[in-house]
Amino acid sequence: MKWWQMKKRDADLERELRSDLDLEEEEQRERGVPAEEARYAARRAFGNATLIREQTHEAWGWAPVERLSQDVRYALRQLVRSPGFTVTAVLTLALGIGATTAIFSLVNAVLLRPLPFPGQDRLMWLSQQDHSLPGEAPESLSYPDYFDWRAQNHTFSGIATYFGGGSTLEMNGDSQRVDAQTVSSNFFAVLGVAPMLGRDFRWEDEKPSNRTVMLSYSLWQSAFGASRDIAGKTIRMDDHAYTVAGVMPKGFRFPLNGPPAAVWVSIADDAEGKKTGMRGYDVLSAIGRLKPGVGVEQARADLSLIASQLARQYPDTNKQDSSALVEPELRHMTGDTGPALRVLFDAVTLVLLMVCANVAGLLLVRTARRGGEFALRAAIGASRGAIMRQLLVESVTLSLCGGIAGVALGYGLMHAMVRLVPLNIPRMQDASVDGRVLVFALVVSVATGLLFGVVPAWRMSQGAPALALRDGSRGVAGRRGQNRVHNGLVVAQTAIGLVLLVSSGLLMRSFVRILDVDPGFDPRHVLSARIGVPFARYKHDQHVQFFQRLLTSVSALPGVKSASAGWPLPMSDSYATISFNIQGRPIARGDEPGEALGLAMPGYFETMRIPLVAGRLFLEQDGVKGPPTIIINQAFADKYFPGTNPLGQHMQIRLGDDVFEQSIREIVGVVGNTKLRGLAAATQPAYYLPYPQAVVTNPYIVIRASGDPALLEGGLRAAVHDIDKSVPVYQVATLEDYVSKSAAQPRFQTLLLGCFAGIALILAAIGLYGLLSYMVVQRSLEIGLRMALGARRSDILAHIVRRGLVLTLIGICAGLAIAAGMTRLLAGMLYGIRSSDPVTFAVMAGLLLLVSVAASSVPAWRAARLDPNQALHEQ
Amino acid sequence: MSSMAKQTQQRTAVLQGTLDMLILRTLLYGPAHGHQIGKHIQRTTNEFLQMQHGSLYPALHRLERRGWVVSKWETAPDRNREFKYYRLTDKGRKQLIVEESQWKRMAEAVARVMWPTAPEEN
Repeated sequence: MKWWQMKKRDADLERELRSDLDLEEEEQRERGVPAEEARYAARRAFGNATLIREQTHEAWGWAPVERLSQDVRYALRQLVRSPGFTVTAVLTLALGIGATTAIFSLVNAVLLRPLPFPGQDRLMWLSQQDHSLPGEAPESLSYPDYFDWRAQNHTFSGIATYFGGGSTLEMNGDSQRVDAQTVSSNFFAVLGVAPMLGRDFRWEDEKPSNRTVMLSYSLWQSAFGASRDIAGKTIRMDDHAYTVAGVMPKGFRFPLNGPPAAVWVSIADDAEGKKTGMRGYDVLSAIGRLKPGVGVEQARADLSLIASQLARQYPDTNKQDSSALVEPELRHMTGDTGPALRVLFDAVTLVLLMVCANVAGLLLVRTARRGGEFALRAAIGASRGAIMRQLLVESVTLSLCGGIAGVALGYGLMHAMVRLVPLNIPRMQDASVDGRVLVFALVVSVATGLLFGVVPAWRMSQGAPALALRDGSRGVAGRRGQNRVHNGLVVAQTAIGLVLLVSSGLLMRSFVRILDVDPGFDPRHVLSARIGVPFARYKHDQHVQFFQRLLTSVSALPGVKSASAGWPLPMSDSYATISFNIQGRPIARGDEPGEALGLAMPGYFETMRIPLVAGRLFLEQDGVKGPPTIIINQAFADKYFPGTNPLGQHMQIRLGDDVFEQSIREIVGVVGNTKLRGLAAATQPAYYLPYPQAVVTNPYIVIRASGDPALLEGGLRAAVHDIDKSVPVYQVATLEDYVSKSAAQPRFQTLLLGCFAGIALILAAIGLYGLLSYMVVQRSLEIGLRMALGARRSDILAHIVRRGLVLTLIGICAGLAIAAGMTRLLAGMLYGIRSSDPVTFAVMAGLLLLVSVAASSVPAWRAARLDPNQALHEQ
Repeated sequence: MSSMAKQTQQRTAVLQGTLDMLILRTLLYGPAHGHQIGKHIQRTTNEFLQMQHGSLYPALHRLERRGWVVSKWETAPDRNREFKYYRLTDKGRKQLIVEESQWKRMAEAVARVMWPTAPEEN
């Protein structure tokens, strides 16, 4: 029988009992028993009708469900009857469960969700290992290396490459800068996704003059009006004609980090530019699909064998790259963010534990107040199990209410986190409350309810009913055992709270240190932008002239102090390491060291305010036809010219391999160090070439303003437009934006952990306050007696505060010990501060102590104001 | 308190098994409603089993759930009113044989303990 038929079934039983009872009564009457007496006799013969009904229900086999629904109904009634308690508990729980759910939804989106490709577990990130560097040092592939890997491996069903960049899309005389990926022809096949319109790339598309492009769904919508006959058409990009192969389905995206690509172009353009023949032009990222049954190690051995052969065959370019790295794509992509998210998840779990302890304390007080009720129930036959069950049902009902509110709160928190923190964490933007998050929230809610409910339930079921009944609902001395449990809960909260406080304190101090770092340039009042000058239309000389003209007109704009151009901008995504040799220090070509490369127009260091240490800066004389010169930074000088004067020394830069002439350059200046890869990154040796002697397609223009740099954007765009309206201006940002972005991840962690620590501090205070308030109420008779016997109010005050202090100190000691162990997990995220920093530990312990004293003083003050007369009277 | 509750439970449990068998045996004569079954058991045991009719109903519903009896509202020939009649199923008949033999074995076992001087059958 199904439970929803119960009502009908019940009516049936009622009718059956009634008809048989009537019959009994009739028979009694027929035997001559008077009518009135017959009814009672029948009832007596029949037995307890309610009991029969209950036993029959049991026979139907749905008793547990019935009992549970009864318990839940009862629990809800109880919760409604004490709204103050219920609202407090539900809000506390909602906070804990909500924060946990929000963080879990991030963890779920970033770390747990599989990649959106079929057979995604066989997709591997591939790279060469650079053996000139310690540890795991990935080195990108060159086209010839890639072609050899693709042809010679035995472990992959396909290996594809991709290389990010930008392209200028020209439409009706207008131009638009779009994010592009240059990909091998099997790229989509390796990922296992087919275009929704048109055809996939073919092998021929890799050949020179076969320029082919695949459109993303969003570009197809925005630029091509979702035209269904776009496939096969020709579009113009970067001054070349490209054939549209097709359109990828909505939501397709790869690579998953960085800006989503608007187009994927075949490598035909690189083939025409001879880049496909340059070994040592190491720019390609690679992804491979393992053959079924092949393991990661086996694949690594396979590719390493090929790499070692290439290293022997081409020592000039491949000597250092004699083995391969293979890692599942999902793990590689989430590798950097995993630890950070895990720390946040650990922290929020601690908050949830504190919430549990807090609500358990509330519940303990409440069940103690209801002691009489449970004693009565036990006295009239409720078993210990039944009372425990009732209490657990109540606590789980409570936590489910908190869970529902928590999911709503978590949803809001998650969106706030994703939106407010512009973080370059792959897939973070995809965070959502999906089935897995909901199941997680449900499990957390039930587990929370059981966790905070089991202590009071167990305590209550242990009680002796007779004692509780005699004491009434308010015990005189209070039960020692219960107080011990409650004290334990407060100590635990204090300890956990301190762990969170210390962790967030460490991150905060580390973050302040990061912000204090001198980036080596002055980021204030500087606007930057990238200018995409097509190589096809502007040859080397014209390219340089374009920028000279542009800088002249921009410098003349009102509010501009100075303007220059260069590449790359510190803390931008652009970065290059190029190998070199120093004249007079013979070295095999394959063993040449590499350092960070920079390019600078005259006035670049002045505009950036990078200080000159020795020699001179670049001048007009370092032009296209000028003598080859080079400037190094202080770290470079320290590393390669210790104790000697680098000025006048000569270096040869392996820039562009065989394409550019590799002239011998004279060191003419030494400049200060700049933080190239972020504020917290190590200082790197770097060297700069005069921009006219080594041009790139998309340099950065930097403009120092006398006022708000953002106001100069319009003037800059107009200036570029005046020279050539098809040249796009993009990535417009202030230098402060770049600096702030480089500190975004520590800021995000610090902010969140700071919030958690704040919540923890409040919870710890509330927990202690609750315990002491209850203690004062419970012991008002004792306090009254003491006062009547001559205790001063200050004695009472001190007594209660001392009680709070003792508990806090025990909690702090435990917390310090735990924190000392746990903050080691943070070590990798801290900058300029040790994870055992004694100052942070001391300050946070002091803060917690201070707040605890404040939390104790309120109930203590209330106890001291107690009127002994009234207190004794009430009892 | 709880230990007393346990005792009561054990006592009804022993009674339950017997009661099931008695009901099934009664229904062997033909369909009957609860009142008739109760009356019959009481009469045949010469009022020895002093049971309240009420305790029959949980047992009847349990037997029905197990598929040993089926029930139907039918008009009683003598009363011109509908009663809920229970009827033995084939499954119930088989169950009666099982319970009967179990009961016999238990009675024998108890007898051997209670009256050990009784001559052994071999």
